[in-house]
Amino acid sequence: MFPHLDATLADLYFALLALAALICGVGMVLARHPLNAAVLLIGVMLSLAGIYALLDAPFLAVLQVLVYAGAVMMLMVFVIMVLNRARSDVPRCDWLSVGASAASLLLTALLASTLAQRELAAHPAAVRGEPEPISALLFAPAQGWWLLFVAIGVTLLTAVVGAVLLAKRSLDTEPKAAEDDHAH
Amino acid sequence: MPTDAAFFTPIHVQVLAALLFGLGLTAALARRDLFIVLMGIELMLNAVNLSFIGFARSHAGSASTLGQLAPLFTIAIAAAEACVALAMVVLLVRQQDTVDTDARSALKD
Repeated sequence: MFPHLDATLADLYFALLALAALICGVGMVLARHPLNAAVLLIGVMLSLAGIYALLDAPFLAVLQVLVYAGAVMMLMVFVIMVLNRARSDVPRCDWLSVGASAASLLLTALLASTLAQRELAAHPAAVRGEPEPISALLFAPAQGWWLLFVAIGVTLLTAVVGAVLLAKRSLDTEPKAAEDDHAH
Repeated sequence: MPTDAAFFTPIHVQVLAALLFGLGLTAALARRDLFIVLMGIELMLNAVNLSFIGFARSHAGSASTLGQLAPLFTIAIAAAEACVALAMVVLLVRQQDTVDTDARSALKD
């Protein structure tokens, strides 16, 4: 599966990183305070970055650390701390959540056991995911993926404007006059 | 061939992705803290990315590169989703001063 590494060493790395991701994931589900959950989720994301690097995807491994573990989780931790209440007044579980977790874990166990019985071989001619082949495919004029890239840019801009509008302290005051003052 | 001695095959990556997706689903469905629900959704998105990258190893040529291109879009959409969702959380907490999802049941009453 990992062509650039010694087989036993690669197995060891994968097992350690997968175990770390699963332990952090279980800890996130059971965490008492959202801040603990956020730190454990960062643990999952960093372990996944290691697995991406093992799976010949160095570009996505770097992006995972930069965007997910860096930007998204930083934003999450920041908002948790801004809205922080010293004690969490939300109960950790009730009867509904016991049923919901039993159902979803059963579904997952079924899916995972079905998957584990199948065979899937690594292809010897798989391309290593470095920036060069990925950007060549992304910006190939004939493929049209660049259109999706432009659409993603517009989506991100819309999301930022939407977030600013949502989180504004009040919409009923008239900010237009003040903005006009700043503009001129 | 030393690589044939490896115990883990690409299907184990998919099993790990399925388990992480299940954990994320459990967090999103079972927890009542809005932040942890959001983190469950993020974990599910991460599991899907892992699945894409795992399958990319089993294809040749541009199909393999495509498997590594798709997570790029998922990551961008996840960033946009986190941005809007956190703004909504800020708004909801300002209105009702709690992060309990059961407080948002105005349509039920």
